[in-house]
This record gives sequence, structure tokens and C-alpha cells, in this order.
Amino acid sequence: MVKANTLNRNNKTKFKRQDLVGWLVMLPSLILFAFFVWEPLLESIRLSLYSAKGIRLQEFVGLENYIRLFRHPDFLAAFRNTFLYIFYSLIIGFMVPIVMAVLISETVHLKSFFRVGVYFPNMVPGMATIMMWSFFFRPGNTGVLNILLSKVGISPQVWLNNPKWTIPLIIITMTWKSAGSTSLIYMAGISRISSELYEAATIDGAGIWQRVRHIIVPSIFSLAKTLLILQIISVFQILYEPLVMTNGGPNNASISLMMLTYNYAFRDFNYPMGAALSVVICAILIVLSGIYTKLTKDKE
Amino acid sequence: MKRLLCLLLSLVMIMSLTVGCGKETTEDATSTPQSQDTSSPTPEPEKVVLKLGIWPEPTLTDDIAVHEGYVERFNELYPNVEVVPAHYKYATDTFVPMAEAGNCPTIFETWFTEPQKLIAGEFIADITDNLKARGWDKAMNPSIRELLSKDGRIYGTPRDGYALGIMLNVELFEEAGLVDENGYPLYPKTWDELAETAKKIKDATGQAGLCLLAKDNAGGWHWSNIAWCFGATLTIDNGDGTFTANLNSPEAIAAMNYVKDLKWKYDVLTADPLNEDWGTGFTALGTGTAAMYIAANDAVNQPTQVNGLPLDKLAMCAIPEGPGGQYSLFGGTPYVFANNATYEEIEAALNYLEIMGQAPVASDEAIAGMRAGAQNKVANGVPVIPRFPSWIDQEVLDAEAKIIEEFGNVDTNMYQSYFDATKSDGNLRMEEPGLTQDMYAEITKVLQAVIIDPDADVEALLNKANENYQSLLDQTFKK
Amino acid sequence: MFFKSYSAKKDGAIRSFDLHSFRVKLLIICIVVICAIIAFVCLFPTVWVFLASFKDIREFRREVTIFPSKFDFSVFVKTWNDLKFIKYYINSLIMVVGCVICSVIFNGLIAYVLGILKPKGHQIVTGLVMWSLLIPSTTSIVALFVNVNRLGLSRSFIPIWLSYGANAFIVVLYKQYFERMPADLFEAAKLDGCNVLQVFLKILVPLSTPIISVATIFTITAAWSDFLFPFLILNGTGKETVMIAIFSFRTSNATDVEVLRAILFSIIPPTILFLIFQKQITDGAAAGALKE
Repeated sequence: MVKANTLNRNNKTKFKRQDLVGWLVMLPSLILFAFFVWEPLLESIRLSLYSAKGIRLQEFVGLENYIRLFRHPDFLAAFRNTFLYIFYSLIIGFMVPIVMAVLISETVHLKSFFRVGVYFPNMVPGMATIMMWSFFFRPGNTGVLNILLSKVGISPQVWLNNPKWTIPLIIITMTWKSAGSTSLIYMAGISRISSELYEAATIDGAGIWQRVRHIIVPSIFSLAKTLLILQIISVFQILYEPLVMTNGGPNNASISLMMLTYNYAFRDFNYPMGAALSVVICAILIVLSGIYTKLTKDKE
Repeated sequence: MKRLLCLLLSLVMIMSLTVGCGKETTEDATSTPQSQDTSSPTPEPEKVVLKLGIWPEPTLTDDIAVHEGYVERFNELYPNVEVVPAHYKYATDTFVPMAEAGNCPTIFETWFTEPQKLIAGEFIADITDNLKARGWDKAMNPSIRELLSKDGRIYGTPRDGYALGIMLNVELFEEAGLVDENGYPLYPKTWDELAETAKKIKDATGQAGLCLLAKDNAGGWHWSNIAWCFGATLTIDNGDGTFTANLNSPEAIAAMNYVKDLKWKYDVLTADPLNEDWGTGFTALGTGTAAMYIAANDAVNQPTQVNGLPLDKLAMCAIPEGPGGQYSLFGGTPYVFANNATYEEIEAALNYLEIMGQAPVASDEAIAGMRAGAQNKVANGVPVIPRFPSWIDQEVLDAEAKIIEEFGNVDTNMYQSYFDATKSDGNLRMEEPGLTQDMYAEITKVLQAVIIDPDADVEALLNKANENYQSLLDQTFKK
Repeated sequence: MFFKSYSAKKDGAIRSFDLHSFRVKLLIICIVVICAIIAFVCLFPTVWVFLASFKDIREFRREVTIFPSKFDFSVFVKTWNDLKFIKYYINSLIMVVGCVICSVIFNGLIAYVLGILKPKGHQIVTGLVMWSLLIPSTTSIVALFVNVNRLGLSRSFIPIWLSYGANAFIVVLYKQYFERMPADLFEAAKLDGCNVLQVFLKILVPLSTPIISVATIFTITAAWSDFLFPFLILNGTGKETVMIAIFSFRTSNATDVEVLRAILFSIIPPTILFLIFQKQITDGAAAGALKE
């Protein structure tokens, strides 16, 4: 290994030995990043332009896989659904943690219990969460939610089998799992607000609701923007929920782009089509991130 | 700055190089066995390893004992072959990693849906030469051979032929009083009767009359049999290599309306058909939460051995008749072979099948194998009933018939109508041609829609499905 | 009594001077009640799984109740043995330990270089890492899967372990922490003749135990819950983890109540971890500010 004193030479302009050492130290990590994150993105593009037998590429077919993909009857459904997932997650999943954070911030008693309690679902493994909620949404009178409904005299519902409810209910499941951890971030943001602000506002005659509206909301606004884009990105990859809860049904009401990718690659062994769809998903994500950055820049 | 970019790029290049290298080595691995079989006619018999994916799973100790018997016999006859038990239960998500890593067992079972997919991916071996040398290619039931072939080459051998029928849970029939003076279930003979029978059972026992599948492609698979009985033909072979989708014929619409009535008029289905698949259907039948289920004779171990239904409480009847006639969907469960298996390894596997009695050979070994299999079924409470001739060798058929007579552990009257119907001319019908699985997927979506919505517009849904299916057909089969 | 402690309240819009109003007092009570309902909703499903696990299959399928008719813990032992759950626990343990080791070493090293050594051109790598945070790797799972198979690495724990060595979230977490450390420390160490790796091992790691433990806890829960990649690599090899197992039980011959008990088994380890480290976990989640 290189001795430390070689590191002490001046570090201007030229690529020095110490730079090389730095690169060498992170080389193993870089290889891992390249292998697990960066190279697969490029490989997706390459795969999507070929025909294949199993994972063995056969011949270059240009954009044929993409044309077949766009023409596939399930593609439009998956495309539309993915945006419906995002739409409902904005309505349900985005607001709930903010409301939770504001409310819990107002408590004194049991506060740490509330914090721990709302975070707990985040510790439950995703697969367990989904399977657990499948029992809740089971149609017929032994589904848990139907048991609860029967106690208040409401007849059993079909839950996920009602195509209008499938996506919102899946989003509720996701929100149940992740809202607690998100709200902790908002709570941290709220606790950073200085007491003087509230006092000054009160002197100006602001009531409690106005203080929330004019002090708390603006102060977590930029946090919310960041979390929003992260949320959209994570909802975009939704896979386990439709795969386990509904198998994409009923009548394609919940199939997502990632689930279609899964079906292509891991059910039909059609890796080039799966890769083509991956590329489409990545492209949409890049566009979305671009729009987001532009919007936030314009505002500032 | 530029230099750094170069460094980064070269890193990515190194990465893709290593990936490339890996690819070459795996290709080498798969090609070496093939090069061996050209140079194989060496004088002394080489040591051959036979990895048996058809070995029973560890929990089935009785089945393992039977196979251990087979191996003993096999080793006496073929001392140069080393048999390695390598139980493999085929699943789409486990198959490719295993096959690409070269760990595929020499011989394994797969599902009826899979052979064409596996052939297209070159995952399984072309065994035409082996079969021709033995004369087995001609002994194979031609329609089953068709299922296992592509471009005139054969890629598997049949374990069983199967034909769909209706399995009945006799306990529920008894509870509903639907048995004749001899205690035989009063099974439905037409689809209308089936709906009424199911209704009676539901009213009397509270359990579902029929378990209908609507979760995955198996839903479309079962429904296509219903549709045939209503007179529908779902895919038309144009004879020039193209196909025309015909999912929205009046007959198909009638068949779909029938399913809709089962749910909304009679209400005889299980609580959530959208969550029922091939396996849960047998659970429902076996544990008495459904009285009837469309199933095939080769799966009689599912309700009994696996799900605990007493042997004498299982019956099977023919697929009911509809306005368009009476048909039973016919297919086969195949044995297939690893694509990197050598000629000798495939020979060894075929010899093993012979010892199991799963080959068109009526030798003493084969008959002993059949007997051992039957004996094991008796011990495990699995009905011993006739199979469908997957081989058309008369000697084998006779030997089989004799064994079934000897080991018969069920009242054949319980299965009479099923076997009578499937023996009649023109009753057995192969699956629809074209993109069968894609068609099933389209139909399953329609099934889901009519089961969840009493106001579903069946005609519009089938028109849409037909349009989708036609576009898939047009993309795949071009003139 | 109840409202007295509100004088010490530091967060939120309601301040101690609002308390004279009856409406505010009512509001406070309402808020506590709503929060209690929220906490109940968050905890109830898991509690239900526990309660329903005591039922037998007949009771579960036919009885419309929340509470089981009897509490008999032997059913858990029986299911544990029937499903051979110990095997899945051991597999998961092997996977988690390997993932933690890879995560600490590889993410730590790259964060050390990007946060402290900063060799020429490190900005490019930082940019790429930040970008990987936005474009999730699940989207290219197909290509990754194909690559792993080409290298012949499938059917082993190795690719899963190593995949945890390339976690952008953890890198950012470490990097932010390292950047806040005083630079003199490293200068002094260098003068003492430590090489770069020695600085990492002898100075940085001991001083970073808080962040390493937070990152480790997150890695443990993430690895324990990980499904898709392990499923594609390990299913059918005898190395199935707990998550793969419960996914397969869903469509196996296991009954509903056995599946429920299996779900419960999969929740127990993270719950214990959470009970022990709840403060580190909740604080860490908030401090990270960027979620995975």
C-alpha cells in the first residue's frame, strides 16, 4: 500500500498518485455499483434490441420488441394503471403522513408511543404486509374487514374484486406500511420550527388553524416536494402488491408496468420483451424526474 | 475532466467485458457435451450419469421406496449408469436459472402448457433420434406427439394422457341427498343440470356447487372445454400458417353467459373464483368446500392423497353435454430432457422410463414397474384407474388393463360415465391451435369481468378479447 | 392535570398560552383520540395475525370472530416443525449477515473516498450515485438477472450479498456523516504514518459507530424483507429465505392458518429488533430525511 506521506503532496490540477489511491480504494465498490446498478441499465437497452432463446441472444431485431410491446393488449392497461396508482398514491399516500405528522406533533401524552406505533408497520416485511392485507380484503364473510363490517351491520363487500376499488385499496395497503416512516420525517421538520414564529404569529392574531396553515405547511413544503418525487418513483415500481393480491386482475384492473415486465421475463421467459419494457419504464422515470426538476427550478 | 470520463468509461467496458467472458464460458459449458456425442463411439462403455428430476419429493417416502426399487433393477441392467436422485418440481421462476447454470436434471416432468415455450427457448433436448432408434416415435399417440414436437422434431415423451371430466365430492352429494339407491352420485348430464345440481348442493350444504377457476390461464383452459360443448370453436386454422380468432361467436357468448349465470343467477361458485387456481381447486374439492370441479383423470391423487378426501368419496363423471355436443379436452403431461444431455444420457433416461413402465414396451421389467406403481397408489389411497393411451402399443395397453384390474381399489361405477364418454368417437378434443396460452389469458380476463359484475356486457367483453387475441395472432403468424 | 404537561410542549401550533380556551382543550383531546385511533390502525393487522393464528382451519374458515376460541401455543410449535421453518430462518440469517458485511465494507469505502479522500473526478461518481438513488435498480432486474446467470453466479448467496454493497442510500448516509468530521483528524493520522486503509479502519470506523449501527439496522431489516432478487436467484435451491418461503406457502398445500403462522414467524425477528433499537430506528428514519 502507498504510504501516507505520498498523500501530502500538493493536490492541484494534475491527476496525482493519491487520486489513483482514492480510485483504487473505491474500485471494488465501483465495480459493484457498475454491476448491480449502472451496467444493467445499458444491458436492458442491448437486450431489448435482440431476439433471444432463453438468455442467449440470437439476432439484432431493431425496435421490433418495442413495436410488439406497444401493440400488446396488456400494455395499455398496465400503462394506464401505473398512472392510476400514482394518482391515488398522491391523493391518499401523500396527504396521510402529513396529517399524521401534524397531529402527532400536537400531542404531549403518549407521544413516543404514537411515534413508535406508526413506525411499526414499516418494520413488517413487505411480503408479510401484502399477505396479511390479502386476508383483510378477502371476500365472503370470513374476510377480516367483512367481519368488522358485520359487527356494524354492513353486508360483506368484495373489496379487491371490485375493479373500481382495486387500485385504491392496494394504495391503502402501501400507505399503511410506509406512512409512519414518512410522517417521522415530517415531524422532524416540524420540530425544527422555532417557537418564536408561533409566538409572533399569535401576537398578530393568528388562530391555531392559521398557524398550521401559514407556519407549519410552508416550513415542510420543500421536504414534501422531495418526498413527493421519491414517492412517485417508488409507486412506479409497484410489483409485489398486484402480483400477490390480485395477479393483475380483475380483468387487468391492477396490472402494473413492473408486473408486466415480471410476466414477460419470469413467466414467459421472454427476456428481450421484459428488457424493452424496463427501458420504457426508465425513460418515463427520467422524463418525470426532469419535469420535476424543471418545475421546482421555475418556482425558485 | 476528460481523462476521468475515460477512466469511467473504461471501467464500464471492463465490466461489460467480464460479463461477456461469463457468457462465453457458459456457452462453452453447454456446447462441450454436444461435441462429446460426436466423438462418443469409443469402444468401452463410458460412465454415464443420469440425474433424475422425476424423483419424488422428500416427503413422499413410499414413492421414494418405489423408485429405489426401480434404481436397483436399473443398475443390474445398466451397470455403467450412475443414477443421481435430483428431485425437481418444475416452476417457471426456478427453471431458467437452473437450466442456464447447467444444473438441469437429465429428465424432468413439466406441465401441459410448457413444452412449446421450452422448445422455443432451446431449453430441452431434441430426442427424435433416440426415439427413432427405438421405434418409439411411431408408438406415440399422434396427437400427443404433436404437442411435444416442433418442425417435425420430437422433444419429449408422454407420462400420461389426460382428458378433462368433472370430479365429484361424493360426501357433499350425499349430504344434499343427490345419490341413487345404490349410493352413486346423481351426476349432471348437461350443463343446465350441472347448474341445478350445484344449486341443490349449495342450498342443502352451504358449500359451493362448482369450483370455477378465474385466477390464471387455467381459467381459460377449463372454459374452452365448456365453450366447445356450447358449439364454439375458438381459433380457426386458416391452413396457410395463419389463424383467425373466434372468441365472440354466438356459441362462445352463450358459454360465457352460462358462466355468468352460475355466479349471478344460481350463485353456486366458491367465495372468490378470482383466487382459485388449479391447486386450490383440488383443495376446495378435497376438503369439501366445493362439490364439483373440472379436472382430469391423471390428477386423482390431488383430492385424495394430497387433500385428504377418502378414496371412496371421489367420483368422476363426463363433461356435461351442451347445445353444441359433448367434448373432453385431451392433452398429455410430458417428460422432457435437459438440452445439455448427451445421447447416452437420454438413452439412460429412456431406459429408466422403460423400467418404470412408462414406455411403449411390455417387457417383464416394464410390467413389474407398472405393478410397483399401482401397488404404491393403493397404499396411499390414490384411485387406480385407467390412463389414456399415450402410447398406442397394443401389448402395453393390454398389460396396463390387466394391472388395473388386479389393483383396482375403487368402484368403477364411480368413474363409468367419464370413461364411457371419453371412449366414444370424436369426444376427445385437443387444445385450440394458435397462441393457446395467450388465448387463455384473454378469456381469463373476461371470466374475471363477468364474475365480479352482474351487469357485465358479455358480448362487448368477448369482442374486445377477440380483437386482442387476433392482434397477437397477426403479430406472430405472418403469411 | 392532563393539560399541565402541555406547558412544556415544544412542537406544533398549539402553544401553552392557548390552553385557557375550552375549545382548545377539546381540540387537544380530539387530537389525542385521533392519534390513538391511528396507532390502533397501525398495530391492529399484526395483532390480528397473532390472534387468528390460534384458530384451527375450520374455525378460521367458518367462524365470524376476531378472537380465537382458545389460546394454545403448541399450534405454533407444530406449524414451525411441519413447515421446517428453522431451515428458512438459518438461510435468512446467512443472507442477512453477508449483506450487512458487504454493506458496511463496500458502501463505507466508497463513502470514505467520496466524502473524505475526494480524488480528482470524484464528483462524477457522486453524481452517478445520486442518480442511482432516483432510478431504482428494480427496473433493470431483467438485465441484472440475465447478467448474473451469464456469470454463472445464480443459485448462490454471493450475488445477493454483493448487491447490498451497492446501495446508494447507505452511501449517501455515510457520506453525509463523514463530511461532518473534522479534517484535522485525518491529517494527524497521516502524519503518524497511517495509510489510507489504516485511516479508514483505525480512525473513521471507530468514530462512526452511531451511523454504522443505524445503517446496519436498516440493512438488516431491508435484507430480511428482500424478496424479488433473492427469489429469482435462490428459489428452488434449498437456500430459500423466510420471504421466499411465505410466498411459496401461499400457493402450496399449507392451510390458511399455517400461512398466517408463517407470516407471524416472518414478523417476529424485525419486531424484536425494533423493540430493542426503537430509538435508533425512529431517530435514524427521521435523520436520513431521504427514504429508501
